[in-house]
Amino acid sequence: MNPTTTPTESAGLPEISLREYSTSAANNVLAIAGVVIKEMYRRKDFYVLFVLTALITLVMGSVTFFNQDNIVRYLKEICLFLIWGASLVIAITTAARQIPAEREQRTLFPLLAKPVTRSQFVVGKFFGCWFASGLSLVLFYVFFGVVAGAKEHEWPVLNYFQALVLHWFMLGIVCALTVLGSIVFAAPSSNNTITLIVSVGILLVGRHLNKVALRLEEPGQTLLYAAYFMIPHLELFDVRDLIVHNWGLIRWEIWAAGLAYAVVYSAIFLALACLLFRRKAVN
Amino acid sequence: MRAYLLSLALLMVVAVSLATALEPWFQNWSGSRTKSGDLLQVALGDSRRMFARHFFTKADVYFHNGYYPTIYDSKEGFEQGHVGGAAHGQGREEEESEDFLGKPRDWIDRLGRNFYPAQHTHLGDSGCGHTCCQRARENNGHDDDCVHKSHEKGHDHDREATGKPGAERELLPWFRLSAELDPQRIETYVIASYWLRTKLNQVDEAEAFLREGLRANPGDHELLFELGRMFHENRKDVTRARNILELALKNWREKEGAKAEPNIFLGGQILNQLALLEREQHNYPRAIEHYTLLKEVSPNKEMVQAWIDYLKTNGPPIATPALPQ
Repeated sequence: MNPTTTPTESAGLPEISLREYSTSAANNVLAIAGVVIKEMYRRKDFYVLFVLTALITLVMGSVTFFNQDNIVRYLKEICLFLIWGASLVIAITTAARQIPAEREQRTLFPLLAKPVTRSQFVVGKFFGCWFASGLSLVLFYVFFGVVAGAKEHEWPVLNYFQALVLHWFMLGIVCALTVLGSIVFAAPSSNNTITLIVSVGILLVGRHLNKVALRLEEPGQTLLYAAYFMIPHLELFDVRDLIVHNWGLIRWEIWAAGLAYAVVYSAIFLALACLLFRRKAVN
Repeated sequence: MRAYLLSLALLMVVAVSLATALEPWFQNWSGSRTKSGDLLQVALGDSRRMFARHFFTKADVYFHNGYYPTIYDSKEGFEQGHVGGAAHGQGREEEESEDFLGKPRDWIDRLGRNFYPAQHTHLGDSGCGHTCCQRARENNGHDDDCVHKSHEKGHDHDREATGKPGAERELLPWFRLSAELDPQRIETYVIASYWLRTKLNQVDEAEAFLREGLRANPGDHELLFELGRMFHENRKDVTRARNILELALKNWREKEGAKAEPNIFLGGQILNQLALLEREQHNYPRAIEHYTLLKEVSPNKEMVQAWIDYLKTNGPPIATPALPQ
């Protein structure tokens, strides 16, 4: 490609302003995202997981211990555990199949032939998955709030809002990571498995890597501590214990800092995905 | 062809013969899970004990409102479950030493502590949020001029305001699960009964749970002690309490007497409870007998002797402060 001549110049097309370009890019991204959202509510994955979560929670909620009918924390813990599991599965499986499916069905070529850049395509897919995960999360949390409120007779709406948004931003990192994985790995199945293992692994041990590192000899200590700083700390967004045990609100500036942390990591993974996808042969 | 058929027939005969021998043996085998009608026992086998322990620990996690060390943290101060009312440091300094998190190691650690329980609290602390009442619950008593002096052990604002019992109810599912998985775990019944009868005022449920434990562990002295204590302190049924506590003492002697390191603490508790009961009933000779036995096992011999001397000379009123439990 000649670096001094832009495609519009070489084609003799009129120059478009930055504003027009941004609007057009945003429209493209939103159009692609809209398709992903529509796809999610046509598929059965979400419904199956939601019904399963609701069923298990309601069965567990119907159990009475020692004639006490207002015991609620165990129920909140079970319900939130199921919501976290279901949301991770929904986010990862939705994001992992997007790009490979477009390639397999050969719908990628007409899509890219339109004035849609590869980066817009990747970003659109990411936002689609992220918004779809957010929609499903809203339904899950509404169900959770109703079940907990019915037992507890308390409605800590702001706490639930903080937990929901943190959870959603965490899924943003996971979606971006999965989209990146769908470009790196050959098949959606391997991407699903690896991303799920990495995400669950970080959720389980991410918080403790620094403690483990401090017990190691050099150079293991430095290497593990470096890994600790590099990985996205998904567990930061897991505020289930605060919700289950009725702790107070997280300070809003701290909460916002958590969201900013998620935005940075999502942007890094997304930028990497765009970069790799631009260099990748799609045929 | 004929040879094949004959071989097949022979194998079938051998299989049937073996089955007739093996099946009765399997049914009588002590390791057979088919004896149990309990689905959990059949499915999980001995691993259910591990799960039972996990659920018991879960109750302790709930008791600390989610503030609990993981396998990566120092467990100092958390080796024994505090949910049993045991062994928390009484002073502020000791409580602070049980802060397993320590100072934040880096900025991620510092930020992360805002997103999970990072403060040492106990379930029910907020029930009656007065620090004086908290101290009183730890058997330190109220000051004479304290305005909350009427808030006795078991007092619960939550219950007063809403008619609902205290937040300690949240521990109960984990005790139930633990007992379902490992009915031989005595601690579960005793501690669940303690919370039910003291904080939640559910004496009937406490008794039913202890009896369930006794059905699974016939004659267990620890369960009998807790049952006797319940009849004494909650039901005020002195005769039954005495009978049960004496049976507990008898069983303790039988089971622990043969051991190289008997559970002296429990024996002392049974004797102390019996002595207290007899003292309340003005049956001083019996009380002195129990105190004399208690003196042999108690590390606090002078105090026990002082009680014996006092009972022999004065016969104190019931209101006299009891020995520390």
